[in-house]
Amino acid sequence: MKESFPARMVRIHFGEDDRWQGKPLHEAIVERCKELGIPEVIVFRGIEGYGSGSRIRRRGHWTFSKDAPIQVSIIGTEEQIAGLFPFLDRAVEEGVVATSAVEVVRYLRTESSADGAG
Amino acid sequence: MLSSGKAVKVTIYLSEGATHHGVPVYTSILDFLFYRGVAGATVLKGIAGFGADHHMHAAHLLEVSDHLPLKIEFIESRENVDALLGKLQELCGTGLIELQDVVVAKPAQMTRPEPPPSASHLKIAGKAQMMCIYLSEEDRWQDKPLYKALVEAMRANDIAGVTVYRGILGYGAHRRVHKEKSLLTSNHCSVMLSAIDTADKLHALLPLIDKMVPEGLVVFSNVDIIKYAFRAGGGQAQPAEEAKPEAEP
Repeated sequence: MKESFPARMVRIHFGEDDRWQGKPLHEAIVERCKELGIPEVIVFRGIEGYGSGSRIRRRGHWTFSKDAPIQVSIIGTEEQIAGLFPFLDRAVEEGVVATSAVEVVRYLRTESSADGAG
Repeated sequence: MLSSGKAVKVTIYLSEGATHHGVPVYTSILDFLFYRGVAGATVLKGIAGFGADHHMHAAHLLEVSDHLPLKIEFIESRENVDALLGKLQELCGTGLIELQDVVVAKPAQMTRPEPPPSASHLKIAGKAQMMCIYLSEEDRWQDKPLYKALVEAMRANDIAGVTVYRGILGYGAHRRVHKEKSLLTSNHCSVMLSAIDTADKLHALLPLIDKMVPEGLVVFSNVDIIKYAFRAGGGQAQPAEEAKPEAEP
């Protein structure tokens, strides 16, 4: 099944050490997106970068330093994204949120094709 | 490039232990000067000294002091120094900056001759589209991972470039949360392919993507591109011009 619609892409940049209510911020954002029914969320860990606080974030080779740069990429409808923003306002203490209008094509496995593939 | 004649010597006095956003101040300043195209800069380490706070700092054998004085020196034209000074004042914090009018008798020369500008990088700017495809890493097409098959398909269709990213966490159309577990067993992560080219070329791929992607999301957004390409064409054009007189007779 294939559907096409206009949507909004949000990219949030912050550090892996950032937390919200005791859990990693990126996990909290993914959970909130799921509650809002946002169709697609993916979290990337960068290998180097710096953020709004100008800290150089780098994942150490030999240490367990975890303050790597994190990027969360979220795709949803305008309403879903608007619903996410109050949460982001509270949870993201230091970071950058960039949004852009996008055109989306979504492929969904129908019941019969899922059986065939599985 | 600095030329002979009047110039300004800038000297910055700092403590070795001073940091700026977690990195030593002198490396921040040196990086700043380097990327702003200053002709040259030198960091000198003092063996003893004191600063505004009147603490004597010296290099003892028994204790390792990280508060030894450091001096950064560079020489630039008046205009360039004026342009750099604001940021330098911010970077050097509590340190001291001194300016001195000097005369350059002989500017330093590069040990290697500068490559001719024609062989430099080509900058192309314009409008394009970015296509992001969100998949699961375990999706397969025929006998290979789907993301690999898509990269091959794009390469075969002359798409300017594509990069595959592996997510550490995420969920997709099938509503399962993918999470990176360990280095060896994580083959159920979300992946994203990001390709950039003209809208026409990317949309021409859609019928193929329709066939290959059973489940996933394809996102198009308009982007402004600035492309830096090594001028392979320039290398070919020159021999062609030289070859012309030979080809005519």
